[in-house]
Amino acid sequence: MTTRMPQRRVPVGLLRAALCLGFILVVAPGPVTGQTAVEVTTDTPEYCLHLLDMVSTMVRQAEQPPPREITDLSSEGQRMCDHGQTRGGIMRLRKALALMQRSGD
Amino acid sequence: MTDTGLFRSAGLRFAVVYAVLLAASAAALALFLWWATAGLLDRQTEAAIRADAQGLSERWTEGGLPGLIVTIEDRLTQNIDDDAIYLLVGPGMQRLAGNLERWPGSISDAGPWYELPVRRAGMRSLARVQSYDLPGGYHLLIGRDVQVRAQLRTLLTDALLWALVIVGGMATAGALVVRGLFRSTLANVSATAGAIAAGDFTQRVKLSGRGDEFDQLAEVINEMLDRIGRLMDGVRQVSNSIAHDLRTPITRARTRLEDALLHADTPCTLRAAIERATMDLDGIVAVFQALLRIAEIEAGSRRSAFARLDAAPLLESVAELYGAVAEERGVTLAANLPAVLPGYGDGALIQQAVANLVDNAVKFSPAGGTVRLDAAATPLGLRIIVADNGPGIPALERGKATERFYRGEAARSTPGSGLGLALVQAVAQLHGGELALEDNRPGLRAIMALPTPDNQDA
Repeated sequence: MTTRMPQRRVPVGLLRAALCLGFILVVAPGPVTGQTAVEVTTDTPEYCLHLLDMVSTMVRQAEQPPPREITDLSSEGQRMCDHGQTRGGIMRLRKALALMQRSGD
Repeated sequence: MTDTGLFRSAGLRFAVVYAVLLAASAAALALFLWWATAGLLDRQTEAAIRADAQGLSERWTEGGLPGLIVTIEDRLTQNIDDDAIYLLVGPGMQRLAGNLERWPGSISDAGPWYELPVRRAGMRSLARVQSYDLPGGYHLLIGRDVQVRAQLRTLLTDALLWALVIVGGMATAGALVVRGLFRSTLANVSATAGAIAAGDFTQRVKLSGRGDEFDQLAEVINEMLDRIGRLMDGVRQVSNSIAHDLRTPITRARTRLEDALLHADTPCTLRAAIERATMDLDGIVAVFQALLRIAEIEAGSRRSAFARLDAAPLLESVAELYGAVAEERGVTLAANLPAVLPGYGDGALIQQAVANLVDNAVKFSPAGGTVRLDAAATPLGLRIIVADNGPGIPALERGKATERFYRGEAARSTPGSGLGLALVQAVAQLHGGELALEDNRPGLRAIMALPTPDNQDA
């Protein structure tokens, strides 16, 4: 989930940076690492398929048919992953897995 | 105004203090808001990561490396909030488990908190992470995606920034108002002082009517100016009176000496003229002594001689002394004094004041008249009353009767300097009391009240 931030004017940006620096010194000490971003591997279509496989396996191994809520979440997650909404799909598949585990307990 | 003058301005200092206090208060409030919102989110994130690290440490202890790997994968699978960051690497920094593709090169030390840029589904994001060293050269990275919280922090920062800008503007405007009020108030006092210094003693500080501290200050200053004015009038009046009352005896003495110089033909005549002139000059000396005596009493230096006393023998002595004088004039002096009159003060001064009152009463009483001297010790102090059947003092002039050199119409023909009642008034005031002059129908009744403080030590 991302939110596009509005464009800031330069003076406000400078003042904000100064204020941020002051607050960070007080309440959020800690170095900021280099600018090279590291890829998160649980936001990929492959991980989506991995979760889908886990849900399918658990459904197959279950003694009773899963509740409709789980199948709906699983189907919706798969559909979102297919349409490129990977993080949304992964979130639903995780919920489906959590519900499966809860019903198995 | 020069730079030095600007910094010496009290108005500017007040304005700066006001602005600084307001800005400091606003900054403290902003800091608290930050600590209670964005700071709270950061602390919650760090608490979650620490709890996570504690759980994984236990798994490492129980199940070793395989158990830890399974636990990490399980936690990623169950991470419905989609914010967990894990990475477990081996001694050669090879990736063993987790959802980061590689160990960030910028993270080398275990312990500190790091803000790590990450890329999620093609979008740049921000994670707050902490590194842990495990036995065997393994390294574990645990973190949370804080991009949303960072955006919230940015919004909060903007809001606080604008709030501080607004407060800064208000502080500046308020400081200018404070400075203006201060200057306008002082300008009023300064203008009055300037006019008085230039000789216009009728000027007074204007009151705003609000009854505030500045009005109270203005009232105090005006009262002070009124008192100074009264004192100046008194000095002027005394000066005039001295010049007027002493001119006659001095002129008379000079005339007698000149006449003796020109016309005395025998030593006996010359001696008689010199004796009369000496008597005139003795009268002048007596007036000055009385003036100095009053000034000494009014200065309050005699207060150190105050003590508990019995006024009865003092008043009896006065009655005895003036009883003979009254008898010579055909006046009856009736003293009604108790056996004991406890009081507090200077006995000699009290005796002299009563003597002045009795002397006046006897002097102005007609033959066959009666002068009464009464005294009593009341809960409030000594109360001494001297009453006569003389001409008295008209009601309109009683207020002036205690001024120096006052001589009423009835006193023009009797000898005196007009300082007797002024001395009595000074003695009464020195003792914290008062002198009241009333109509005795006919005559004058003088009441001198001298309080006795309960807590005065003897």
